[in-house]
Amino acid sequence: MKRVLLILIMACVSGLVQAQVTIGTADHVVEIKGRLSTYYNQRFLKDGEEDQKKDRFKLRDAQINIEGRVRDIWEYEIQVDFPDLANDGEVDPANPGLMDAYVIYKGFNFMNVKVGYGKLPYSRSSLTPFPYSPYWQRAQIARGDLFSRRDVGVTLFQDFWQSRINVYAGAYTGLGEYSLRGNNDASGGLEYIGRVDFSYPAASKKREIDYVHTPVPLFSVGLNGRYANKKLPEGEEFPEYSQGEYGMSVIDGKKYVYGMDFSVQYQGFSGQFEIHQVRGEPQDPANQLLLGLSSDKTEGYFLAGGYYGQLSYFAKDIKTILSVRYEQLNLNDLADGDSKRFCAALAYQLKGFDAMIKAQYFNVISEEETIDALKWKEQIRVGLTLNL
Amino acid sequence: MTLFRKVLSVALVFSCTCLFAQDIKLKPTEKVTVDIPEPSDVALAHDGKSLFIVSDNGYLFETDLKGKIIRKAEGYKGLDDEGVYADANFVYAVEEFSRTIKLFDLETLTQQRTYEVSYHGGRNKSYEAFTFNKIKNRFLLITEKSPAYLFELNESFEKVNTIDISHIARDISAATFYNGYVWLLSDEDRSIFKLDANTYKVLSQWEIPVLNPEGLAFDADGNIIVVSDAMQKIYYFNNPEN
Repeated sequence: MKRVLLILIMACVSGLVQAQVTIGTADHVVEIKGRLSTYYNQRFLKDGEEDQKKDRFKLRDAQINIEGRVRDIWEYEIQVDFPDLANDGEVDPANPGLMDAYVIYKGFNFMNVKVGYGKLPYSRSSLTPFPYSPYWQRAQIARGDLFSRRDVGVTLFQDFWQSRINVYAGAYTGLGEYSLRGNNDASGGLEYIGRVDFSYPAASKKREIDYVHTPVPLFSVGLNGRYANKKLPEGEEFPEYSQGEYGMSVIDGKKYVYGMDFSVQYQGFSGQFEIHQVRGEPQDPANQLLLGLSSDKTEGYFLAGGYYGQLSYFAKDIKTILSVRYEQLNLNDLADGDSKRFCAALAYQLKGFDAMIKAQYFNVISEEETIDALKWKEQIRVGLTLNL
Repeated sequence: MTLFRKVLSVALVFSCTCLFAQDIKLKPTEKVTVDIPEPSDVALAHDGKSLFIVSDNGYLFETDLKGKIIRKAEGYKGLDDEGVYADANFVYAVEEFSRTIKLFDLETLTQQRTYEVSYHGGRNKSYEAFTFNKIKNRFLLITEKSPAYLFELNESFEKVNTIDISHIARDISAATFYNGYVWLLSDEDRSIFKLDANTYKVLSQWEIPVLNPEGLAFDADGNIIVVSDAMQKIYYFNNPEN
């Protein structure tokens, strides 16, 4: 019976998935898209842990996306994810309720201008569209806990040499996914971000998987950095939740983040490596990010950061992606230890990337117990993703 | 760690299995760089002495058979040109964005007429290929993917037949007619397909080692010409059937 049900579901999905809908005139085209995804999560708890409330189904995506373009001068996009809109209060930076609301002007010859709310030009992984991933979760370093993934502001960007070189620079509120909830923070400071990436021998699309089995090795390397000086006046606080799960998405003081990413694709194999370093300089020596240590020991700053490496293979003939990922994260160099994880993902394409059954396995090799103690040691997510 | 080991074992077996998959592959005899950014389709001129190439950024060029630019359609700036075809009177350029077919006078390369052919599929998954099927006396206009539709058009560019050809490849990036057959190119599958011109059934297929192949044509001797958008090159292949 289960087998019959599965076949029926797969047949329905294969038939259901069609292209997006486009309407418009010859000069102005509006495209409407949607995305749905649900997975079941199963955790294998540590000895002594009994709370299994995270063993459940989760609606990850229920998105509507409207993209428009007026000739080759204007572009705009509005994207909303309904599950997170229902989450009163905290926002998941990896998947916020409002995902995009911006306009791009391409009328200048020397640069393009993007204004509004959307993805920040920092971290290749963060910029890579998630529907093309076999995983259910981005690597820890790029999920938005150490640095925001979206914000409101202005981005200037331009490409050179047939898009092999891309340059971005921008200024943003620095409050990330919470930037639209009222006024800026009391510091009034902005966050500045810059990125440059280079691909060879051709421009590289931001994809994790080599789904075309690239016949020549295709490399891409990117460098990016960001800086914010947000010293709050005495007695003022950042908006609730805006500092993120580890209290460092925004900090009361100076924050520097810099990182490098590398990507390669060849004959169905693909690899990504990404590394980031955060340097935080809280203005208050008693800031919790300095862990209550004396200034002699901290010298007024802490470091955080980590890396991930991912290898994937796309078996075109059996429409299947296999991927493995190793990641390391040190949430604070003032505390002992770091976290290491192994992940593997398997995705079967019912209809290309538009309909996939995805399974992801997590294994916590080690963890930074004093800062981020987990209840589980292994976790599995299995579900269906659908792009309409 | 038992589960961890199982995952690794499955990964190893899976990778080895996939490594040894084989296809029928063609090798290019020559490749040349063209001074046209993002070339997206190519067509042989009616006299067989030159090529017409359109680019993503909306320009139409005539080049010699080695891709050297001879002339450009002055005053024309299209939107996402993805298909081109030429006959004894006109050059036809297809704009994916605006869903239009634009006719250019062959002698002057000036725009003469525009035909709108509506399609409500994805903005970047619309018309990607255009040619003329001499067996059925119909123009063929083909969408890229999700789904890949082959539309037969009459002489007024009205749709008279619709065929879903999504089963052939993950996408279709170009089409041409040669020697009594319809030939298709797939970018994502990097393959050329030979189709029966009446039934559109696939008769043969070959894989090509070209990144982002977007244009397909045959020269007067029957050799295959493929244009790569990302590499900005023309690749030449011997016809495997000659």
